[in-house]
Amino acid sequence: MSAATIIQTNKLTKKNRVHELNLEVREGEIYGFLGPNGAGKTTTLKMLLGLVKPTAGTIRIFGENLRSNRSSILRRTGSLIESPSYYGHLTGLENLRVVQRLRGVPDKNVEEALRIVRLEKHRDKKAEAYSLGMKQRLGIAMALLSFPKLLILDEPTNGLDPAGMEEIRELIRSLPGRCGMTVLLSSHLLSEIEQIATSVGIINEGRLVFQGSLESLRARNRGEIRIATGDNAAAAGLLMTRGLRPETRNGRLVLGSLADRDVAEINRMLVDRGIPVTRIEERKKTLEDMFLEMTGRERSL
Amino acid sequence: MRALKLEFYKIRRKKIVLMILLLLAAEMMWAFMSTSVSISRNPDHAVWASILFTTASLNGLFMPMMTAIIVSRLCDMEHKGSTWKLLGALDVSRGRLYAAKYGCAAVLLLLAVVLQAMLMTAFGFMQGFADKLPAEWLVRYIGGTLLVSLAAASVQQWISMTVRNQAFALCLGMLGSFVGLTGGLFPEAVRRWLIWAHYMDLSPVTIRYADHVATFVTQALPPDIAAFTAGTAAACFLFGGLHAARKEI
Repeated sequence: MSAATIIQTNKLTKKNRVHELNLEVREGEIYGFLGPNGAGKTTTLKMLLGLVKPTAGTIRIFGENLRSNRSSILRRTGSLIESPSYYGHLTGLENLRVVQRLRGVPDKNVEEALRIVRLEKHRDKKAEAYSLGMKQRLGIAMALLSFPKLLILDEPTNGLDPAGMEEIRELIRSLPGRCGMTVLLSSHLLSEIEQIATSVGIINEGRLVFQGSLESLRARNRGEIRIATGDNAAAAGLLMTRGLRPETRNGRLVLGSLADRDVAEINRMLVDRGIPVTRIEERKKTLEDMFLEMTGRERSL
Repeated sequence: MRALKLEFYKIRRKKIVLMILLLLAAEMMWAFMSTSVSISRNPDHAVWASILFTTASLNGLFMPMMTAIIVSRLCDMEHKGSTWKLLGALDVSRGRLYAAKYGCAAVLLLLAVVLQAMLMTAFGFMQGFADKLPAEWLVRYIGGTLLVSLAAASVQQWISMTVRNQAFALCLGMLGSFVGLTGGLFPEAVRRWLIWAHYMDLSPVTIRYADHVATFVTQALPPDIAAFTAGTAAACFLFGGLHAARKEI
């Protein structure tokens, strides 16, 4: 039986920022919402929390319409949007108490949240004296406080050092199994999503360019055949008579995706014509290459 | 009620009460010194009306500033830590949170006005005022001062929640103080629209000058000014609350 849909948007639009987004997040998933800076990730997440009003489209969370059931939905949702929010003059514990009182959750949740994010030892320190990583962890603790069914995290590892990033990733990875949560996580780092997410949605310039499992994203990656011969010019001429369009790159003839029997046939034909074949290889794009291609960014994000 | 209690929880270590006490101390010292000098020059001024009138006139200068500071401190903590976004994503209506903040400011202002009344009473007994303690005047004084302060607070809160930079809100408070201090110099037609000038209008006592002699007289509550002030408080609170609830974060 397939898992229930937790988040479903239909043609979700915010003028000039997000265009007709159809997101689908299923129960128990860690959904990686990937896109370069300025792609519309935060705007989308804010629309899911009712902080920003969509220009068009609908949002259904837990099967309920966000517009008419906002309060009931938010009761079951925890979030951390952009930078962590906190009262600097209050201690970490007092910050959690503020959310606890508004959420109406028991004291034991505060202790548990502090334990999960490993802030017990710093609970009585003012939040303004926390390091960035600690503030981030405090923000996650606030989001976790009611142990919601859905957790929405917007770039939770932003600004952290590698050790801090790994710590947060480890924590997020453990949440579905540990607390039965569904996690929607945004990031502009493919490597991060690759390490944590079970499903991925790629957004670029406000449009969803891919949605599915990481496996299905990899499956879209059809490799290219590269052949090295003793006489590339003659080999290229021969291949063109067979209707192929080889490109010469770095001393190799580059062909598109070919079936195994076609590769064997090309090899036989070249050898029969006395052209020595020194190497035949299949090269697949990395996920990063695919992401850069989808988002139209060939260099650094 | 839960949201209101939470506002008081959130302002711990903010030293708001200390600021109120300092401003109040400055105002009341000024009022007591001024009244003492007035009594020494004219013993007929050793009456409750003199301290009530003096404090009401100084309220025009001090209360708009105090109101701006209280409201600004309450709103600034939400801007500084981006916590309005955090609160907006919880299952609590933003309107309720806005009202709780206003309620917190109202309680602090009430505390300041009641403290003023207590200090005036103590001063009156120490000076041995000839007439009987006018309880009705004190109640009217507290009500009138609070009403004007609540109207000013509703304007201040709207500005403080909308504009992140609290310098704007504090400038408005200073402008209010200027208007409150010089309100008596404005023509009646202009003054009635300036809420900060109404501390004196809603005071139970005023002063009349005739033949170079100043006499304290009781004044009836002006219903149009009271209604305008209450209307301004309600309208700014409602529109400010709606604005805060609908504004995209």
